[in-house]
Amino acid sequence: MTNAAPSPYRTLQATARGYAPRVLQGRGWVLAGLVVLPVGLSLIIFTLVRIRGGDASPAEAVKVFHEVLVKMMLPIMALVAAPAGIREDLEQRTLPLLLVRPAPAWALPLGKGLPWFAWGALWLTIAVLGLQVLGGDPSLLPGRIVAMVCAWWGELGLMTLVGLLFKRGTLWGALYFFLWEPLVRILPPFLQRLTFTHYIESLAGSRASEVHANQLLAQEQVNTHPFLACLALLVFGALCWALAGWKLNRTPIGLAGSEAEG
Amino acid sequence: MITLDRASLRYGPILGLSPTTFQLPEGGGITGLLGPNGAGKSSLLQLLSGLLPPSGGGVKVFGEAPFRNPSVLARLGLVPEGDRLPSGLSADRWLRMMGELSGLSGEGLKAAMARALGIVGMADRAHLTFSRMSKGMRQRIRLAQALLHEPELLILDEPFSGLDPEARLTLMALLRDLAEKGTRILVSSHILGEIAQLTDRILLLFRGRLLAEGSVTEIRQLLDRHPVELRLTGEAQALARWAVEQPELAALRMEDGAVVISVRSPRDLLPRLQKAAAEGGIPLRALDPLDLNLDAVFQYLTKDHA
Repeated sequence: MTNAAPSPYRTLQATARGYAPRVLQGRGWVLAGLVVLPVGLSLIIFTLVRIRGGDASPAEAVKVFHEVLVKMMLPIMALVAAPAGIREDLEQRTLPLLLVRPAPAWALPLGKGLPWFAWGALWLTIAVLGLQVLGGDPSLLPGRIVAMVCAWWGELGLMTLVGLLFKRGTLWGALYFFLWEPLVRILPPFLQRLTFTHYIESLAGSRASEVHANQLLAQEQVNTHPFLACLALLVFGALCWALAGWKLNRTPIGLAGSEAEG
Repeated sequence: MITLDRASLRYGPILGLSPTTFQLPEGGGITGLLGPNGAGKSSLLQLLSGLLPPSGGGVKVFGEAPFRNPSVLARLGLVPEGDRLPSGLSADRWLRMMGELSGLSGEGLKAAMARALGIVGMADRAHLTFSRMSKGMRQRIRLAQALLHEPELLILDEPFSGLDPEARLTLMALLRDLAEKGTRILVSSHILGEIAQLTDRILLLFRGRLLAEGSVTEIRQLLDRHPVELRLTGEAQALARWAVEQPELAALRMEDGAVVISVRSPRDLLPRLQKAAAEGGIPLRALDPLDLNLDAVFQYLTKDHA
């Protein structure tokens, strides 16, 4: 019996649905915890301060968003989730079972990444909504949600691609996120646009009004129009997923999981 | 169905498979791929299943190059070596995904899953996650995924590895049944007895080279310069006296109630032996060829090429 090869859409659908339960296991809950815990902890502190008659500053929400979620948790989420994507099949040597199917191989990285994207986006949205209780500016809420979800799409795509390009993809990803991204404060304008932080701040609002004299930026902070910032993150993410698919499709991957000279 | 034209495979500087040429015709049947570990069996199977492109030469399956070729991949099934399955998934969910990736959907997919699970005897346990299955059960599921789309060519890499005797027999019966129904099966093993129980047609690989192909007997005929050992059971002294007069005799040793002779060109000797026994010229009660089996063939050929 010979069946027609499934379309890319059917391949995405089948892979995403097949691997969806993986997000409800250990790694998925770690991912959820990464964003929920800091926000939850902030909420508890905020509540305690109010019970004692204190007045929690709305600036705290901004600080948690920029300093904790954007700078730390979002990159860590990408570093945690991406190895559970197509990289996991490569390392567990189960990828050949997928590659001997007539389905288009280039769709597999995105298909396996989609459940992780959806799961992470859900918890990021919940976290950003939780920040509103801390006193976040309601007018910035949509921008923050869009910024987090779009940045998550891009960072997860980037880490998936890096995981297929390099054996130590997680290390390279960590170096990018924790060495390059913080440089956004001292980078010249055109290089600021090569960071996720720039686009996230363009969408969600920057901390410019919150900084003190000792935190003055070394360089002038540039802004990108929110629409363009959103587009940039989405296009960058899509490009990363496409490149990951292209890399998988052209790389001979044998039963040992290693590449052979073709 | 399968054509290799000086196909070779390199892993960087290491030659996994030397330029190899052979053909497998259309139709059902089982072909055994034999060789010790590192002989190049998996390399050959990876070329045939389209996982790796050849480094040199050409590979054609169903008339086309198989690497990332959907029209070829839709017609073959692969059961790779090892006990690897994605963690954290249930078998039925994973099989459904595999079926969908093979182009099945709807009722056709349901029927294919039921059929494949029925064939491997896992219909009532497919809801289990892989971590809760025994190794034999996981092997059955791995076979089921390869059977879902009813492939014309089924490739199995060391399928008996790690299975208990009962599971081995079950799998062998299953493979024979599939072959009888028209599926061409290519099965690799480094254990000769396993292949000998399954099929008479073998491809013998050693150190990345295809040493021989054909039936055990055909291959054995290539080895006329190697003496064949026969055990003649009866009155040992009388049998030995007869044997030393034969020009084909290469060696002789006495056993309790038997004599073991090594002879060149057994096809010349055996008719005379039968005639002498029938006429009562020698007290022969039994004749057993000791090395006309895969082990002997394998040892002779690999010794020559070592």
